[in-house]
Amino acid sequence: MDDPVTQLPAPPPLNWAVAEDDLPRKFPNRDVFAQHLEQLFPQIEGGLSPLRGGRDAAEQQLERMNAKRYGRSRNHLDGAVTQLSPYIRHGVLSLAEVREAVFDQLRQRRQQREDGATLIKELGWRDFWQRMWTGLGDQINDNQEELNTGHDPNSYGRNVPDDIRTGRTGLACMDRFQADLVETGWLHNHARLWLAAYVVHWRRVHWKAGADWFLRHLLDGDPASNHLSWQWVASSFSHKPYFFNRDNLERYSQGRFCTDCPSAGCCPFEGSYAQLENQLFATPAASHDTGGTHGRGRGATFARPSAATARPKR
Amino acid sequence: MPFQRPVLWVHDEALGPRNPALLAWPQAPALFVFDSGWIREASISRKRVGFLYESALALPLSLRKGDVAAEVMAFAKRHKADGVVSSTPVDPRLERIADAIDEQLPLELLDPEPFVALRRPPRLGRFSRYWREAESVVWEGFVSSAS
Repeated sequence: MDDPVTQLPAPPPLNWAVAEDDLPRKFPNRDVFAQHLEQLFPQIEGGLSPLRGGRDAAEQQLERMNAKRYGRSRNHLDGAVTQLSPYIRHGVLSLAEVREAVFDQLRQRRQQREDGATLIKELGWRDFWQRMWTGLGDQINDNQEELNTGHDPNSYGRNVPDDIRTGRTGLACMDRFQADLVETGWLHNHARLWLAAYVVHWRRVHWKAGADWFLRHLLDGDPASNHLSWQWVASSFSHKPYFFNRDNLERYSQGRFCTDCPSAGCCPFEGSYAQLENQLFATPAASHDTGGTHGRGRGATFARPSAATARPKR
Repeated sequence: MPFQRPVLWVHDEALGPRNPALLAWPQAPALFVFDSGWIREASISRKRVGFLYESALALPLSLRKGDVAAEVMAFAKRHKADGVVSSTPVDPRLERIADAIDEQLPLELLDPEPFVALRRPPRLGRFSRYWREAESVVWEGFVSSAS
């Protein structure tokens, strides 16, 4: 008997005639589905994500949602993030449904509005990005403003370097984020921010190259939230570039990377924000990550995951 | 004049039961097409295609791959449809496909249920401006059992 984990839900029947060359809808299990997918789309790379698509999987994920804990812990890699973004992105769950689920949970647990305020606001970010995209259309691919890094725009590389794409930077954190991105198609929002900042500022790669790389892999890949968030990191959708330091990353990742990192001792993220700012930018006043919701100044309060990647706090 | 025999085009922004086209025409033949050009040009990974596929399998949809507008038109012809119904897309790529369909057969786009129904279009450009207008309206639907 097949492992129940690999079973696919039976598709609902069709009440119309099926064409002979329609794509198949019935698979005995997920492994066979993966094999079919290789035959149907031989030109594309990789395997299936452990995160399953479909309504059943979405509803199971929705049942795991904890709005109050989300509000308290979302900035931490092991925080109670919802992982609903792929389902929202593709309309498997509507934003209105998730809003109602949050309200229902608050009522059932006799919680107050403030217990769900952070998660509802994050859903608002998703709505905001979509409205922005409706207005911008294909201009989402263009710089919204000039870069504020002080560097020549032409000095940014147009390709994500091989060592980043293949997870061989020698930086335990970045290589782990690359593996999660490529193997699962999902990254915690904070990891998206750190990886984007590393690509754009430490490696001087154009945000569009990184944004396109993310879109290839992210199950919730959405040019509105993805591209504008990369631009926010880069500073073409913000007054200041976003960056972070090792202390910040270690704090919000519970130190899981630094202890055994092969680059310990020569970590490029080591240093104060002032030191790193001088090192990375030709103009002062960048936004650095305090990771919390009570940080200093504009841009210090952005790390709020859910349906998107990084977003500017304005 | 309302359609008598439409087919439904379900695209990758509305792969759930709240799709307004599926709600409006639950018995109509419905189609999802994997956009081969987009998958190739954007180097979309197999895990993304697999996620879309699994999501499409949960709905009553015929599945095809190729040129989306051409496949929708062939599906409509096969079912002798007098029109196509879909959900209003946000992605300009999907809008272009919708335009290509509409040039050949009447297309009706239905708006999905909004997250927040604002009385007038909000000011965008800054999230804080949008949220100032939207937040209280979003929370109108919530009445705390503890209050």
